Amino acid sequence: MSNIDDQNIIEGIVAGDEAVFKAFYKKNRKYIRQYILKNSGNEDDVEDVFQDAFVFIYQKLKTGSLELRSPLSTYFYGVSKNIWRNRLRKNRKLVVTEEIPEDTEIIEASIVQEIEDKEREHVYRKHFVHLSDACRQVLQLLFEGKSMKQISEITGYAEGYTRKKKFECKKHLIEMIEQDPIYQELKATSENK
Amino acid sequence: MERTPEIFEKIERYLTNQLSPEELIDFEREVANTPELQKEIETHKALHDILNDQEAIEVKEKLIKVSKEVKKEESSFARSIFSSPLRIAATIVVLLGVGTLVWNTLDTTDELRDLYVAHYTPFPAEDNTRGEINTALQNIMDDYNKGAYDSVVTALEKNTNLVDQKELEVYLGVSYLNTNQEQKAVLQFENISANSRYYEASRWYLSLAYLKLKNTKKTTQILEEIIQYNGVYKDNAARLLRALKE
Repeated sequence: MSNIDDQNIIEGIVAGDEAVFKAFYKKNRKYIRQYILKNSGNEDDVEDVFQDAFVFIYQKLKTGSLELRSPLSTYFYGVSKNIWRNRLRKNRKLVVTEEIPEDTEIIEASIVQEIEDKEREHVYRKHFVHLSDACRQVLQLLFEGKSMKQISEITGYAEGYTRKKKFECKKHLIEMIEQDPIYQELKATSENK
Repeated sequence: MERTPEIFEKIERYLTNQLSPEELIDFEREVANTPELQKEIETHKALHDILNDQEAIEVKEKLIKVSKEVKKEESSFARSIFSSPLRIAATIVVLLGVGTLVWNTLDTTDELRDLYVAHYTPFPAEDNTRGEINTALQNIMDDYNKGAYDSVVTALEKNTNLVDQKELEVYLGVSYLNTNQEQKAVLQFENISANSRYYEASRWYLSLAYLKLKNTKKTTQILEEIIQYNGVYKDNAARLLRALKE
């Protein structure tokens, strides 16, 4: 892929262009899939890792903190592999004794650490997007700092119902997160430090 | 610590600096004496900090949408290849045994049987240790693991609702394959959706079903698709295809 192509893709990703997302997904998913399926993963893992690696790159592009020294696809593949290796280690399923592969040149040590630090964010987002539309709307407004009164006005719910809904949705979300094996492992690791 | 609407409200007001000075002093005292409450505040703070980034959530949602669209497109493509009326008709003709022209009737029965034996391994049963498994299902799994394929077929044909569980679709197909009901195995594997996580496995066992039926043309075609699919069965497919061509 040429630099010009990469530049167009990067601009499309930063702009949130769904057609660019789709083209990127179609082009790169197969490589990630192959790697994850060969290393104890399943189809759901492929989707999770692809999304998390993509969000990671998106955030770096948005903040202008991504220094690409290789084609974007190669970098993306490196990030995805690092995410998956972290998860295997955390689940103590890492049986592959592969050496740290060629992507050490693509993914700097500081980025590898950054990828690991983002794991908690991925878990939170993963469960948030699985909530019902109503729950997502109420919580999204809450996280934006809106008051119960404002949320009631926006959603059209009575204020008492909004409070009840907010509590139920947030409690459910926290419980889903706490049941996630990656979250539990992250918690255990941070408690042992 | 029990999670209540009151505790949530208080934590939210604390995190957004909405507690009055008196309330703040009381709450901080309570927090200092309650480690569980400290942890709960950390959980809420992380939730608010991380999920306040709406753009990241939107990107993730767009990718979920894109993934569904791509899978739908792939599925329609697969259906157009594997399930067109002509293909179904051809399959039925083949299964009825009257379409001899469609068959590649090699007189190498023994060689094909040897190839099948050399390349077939049972589809591994998943480890169901999640505790939610019911007795009927547990018995089927036990029979499958023991190789009691007749019992698996009987049980699954009786409890068709269970077959909706995706892995059981494959178990049933494999059980047909092992009880000399290759035609049923073919139909079973053909019916597994391209969206299923067991799709690739089903194509692999479908190629073996055709091999057992001595239909080398279909076996070859499906093996080539598996190689193209580039998944976990690629190496198996490549090895069998090589052996078939030799």
